[in-house]
Amino acid sequence: MTHVLEVEDLHHTYLPGSPFEAVSLRGVNMRVEEGEIVAIIGPTGSGKSTLIQHFNGLIRPQKGKVLVLGQDLSDHSLDVKWLRRQVGLIFQTPEQQLFEQYVGDDIAFGPRNFGLGRPEVRQRVKKAMETVGLGFEEFKDRMTFSLSGGEMRKVAIAGVLALEPTILIFDEPTCGLDPATASEFLSKIRELRDQEERTVILVSHDMESVAKLADRIYVIVQGRTVLEGTPRQIFSQSGLLRSYGLDAPQVTQVMHGLRHRGREVRVDLLSVSEAEKEIGRRFDLRQRQAETVA
Amino acid sequence: MTEYSAFSHLTIGQYLPYSSVVHRLDPRAKLVMFTLLVAAVTFANSYTASVVLLAVLLGVVHLSRTPLRYALQGLRPALPWIAVFALLQLLFYRNPYGPDACSTIWSWGFIDITSCSIRQIGLMILRLLEFMILISLLTLTTRTTELTHGLERLLSPLKRLRFPAHELALVFAISLRFAPTLAGELERIMKAQASRGADFGEQGRLGFIKRTRNLLPLLVPLFLSALRRAEDLTLAMEARGYTGGRGRTSFIQLKVLPSDYLALALVFIFCAIILLGGLESIDQQVFTAVSDCASNVFGFVRR
Repeated sequence: MTHVLEVEDLHHTYLPGSPFEAVSLRGVNMRVEEGEIVAIIGPTGSGKSTLIQHFNGLIRPQKGKVLVLGQDLSDHSLDVKWLRRQVGLIFQTPEQQLFEQYVGDDIAFGPRNFGLGRPEVRQRVKKAMETVGLGFEEFKDRMTFSLSGGEMRKVAIAGVLALEPTILIFDEPTCGLDPATASEFLSKIRELRDQEERTVILVSHDMESVAKLADRIYVIVQGRTVLEGTPRQIFSQSGLLRSYGLDAPQVTQVMHGLRHRGREVRVDLLSVSEAEKEIGRRFDLRQRQAETVA
Repeated sequence: MTEYSAFSHLTIGQYLPYSSVVHRLDPRAKLVMFTLLVAAVTFANSYTASVVLLAVLLGVVHLSRTPLRYALQGLRPALPWIAVFALLQLLFYRNPYGPDACSTIWSWGFIDITSCSIRQIGLMILRLLEFMILISLLTLTTRTTELTHGLERLLSPLKRLRFPAHELALVFAISLRFAPTLAGELERIMKAQASRGADFGEQGRLGFIKRTRNLLPLLVPLFLSALRRAEDLTLAMEARGYTGGRGRTSFIQLKVLPSDYLALALVFIFCAIILLGGLESIDQQVFTAVSDCASNVFGFVRR
């Protein structure tokens, strides 16, 4: 497997040398392999947003290294347009960046900026819309600002997907969505990786969705990478997470609670069905139920 | 890259939390002094007066411990416009006071560069500098709440004439409060559109046309979010029982100290000297001295 993204000892300070100076990153290290879904979690103000803005060149490394597809982003001769085609960054509440009157035009904004021809643009818009679950014929001529919040977010995401980037970065993709739409979004993100082999980087506060989606997790606290591992490895350390102001998914917390009360259960479980099996195995629930009935 | 961050660092309206004599002055006194100095800058019509004003303002900047960089930061985006105005004045100001008032330095066709146009440009640049420093000084050293209260108090005698002093102060406070917020919003939108391949930094032969067209993806979301914010703000204010200025008391009680009177008196005297002190005559003397000297040198060279 090759690394599509490497971050080495990255530092960043906002407004250096001013009274508003704020250190955001103090040494971040991470590596992302091709086709992985990697989640970045951390408390508010830990530098996650600053970090991901490095990945498509919105912020250049002040100190340390960022390599995207082998290209060093400190290199000022690097073609930023190339970089932005490779790395699609989807900001938090992206529906607020929409501006065109018609859905189709808004999604075509990106591909047009990169100078693609009309048929190519049309084909990409169509594909992107279908990926996010908006019918091309049905939605392309709809008024952008008459759509619902969830539909607008789909349009905004399609706008980035239409660039067909190899690395996709989502900043809080499910923030502010209702549970059904949120889980629909998460399965779309998984499909993007599974069917189109995109590499996905996910920033989220929602531990349930991280547990469901991510192959690996980086925990960032106060601008430093403090933990790295699979969701099972990370979430089994719930005490440590809590000390960072984070938490494991609720199911995992239940298992930790059981263990804390002296029950010998596994704590590295991430889903309700896994927990159900484990609890059933340990307590032999059916027998107990029978006893209470009798 | 700094090109996007520049927008959220507008210095107008950003209070710098230092502690200095200038910071501690009463906001009402500061507003009055500000008005006096603006008048002085506007009507100062000689090099001497302008240079003295600039020197004094720089002195106050030093006194307020504000880095000069901050006081002048707002100037940078204005530079191209200053250049355009300077050029227009250089070419077309010509000689509005009759042929005796100015001497022609260079003329070609309808273009007439006179000593008056040079003077006009020099004064304009000095004036802009001074305005920039003045505005920055006021907003960098005074909290917006103080400023609003000061303004409201200063205007309150006019309330009897049904002048909406409170509302005006509120509008002022809200616009100052939201300038950095909107700038931050703009930065966010710029970054989002740049991620979709929009290019805002590009300069080409038709760069400015492209730039104007590129504004649409920024302005539409920015206006939408500004409207949304306005609506939220209205609701939030009503939810907290805001019904207008009538009968409202204030947590901040302003108190004028002897130092405020002293500063006011100093500024008043200074402005009087600038405006009425006949500083033009010094200009005249310096000019004659310089032109004498120049003609001597030229004469010498020609010989």
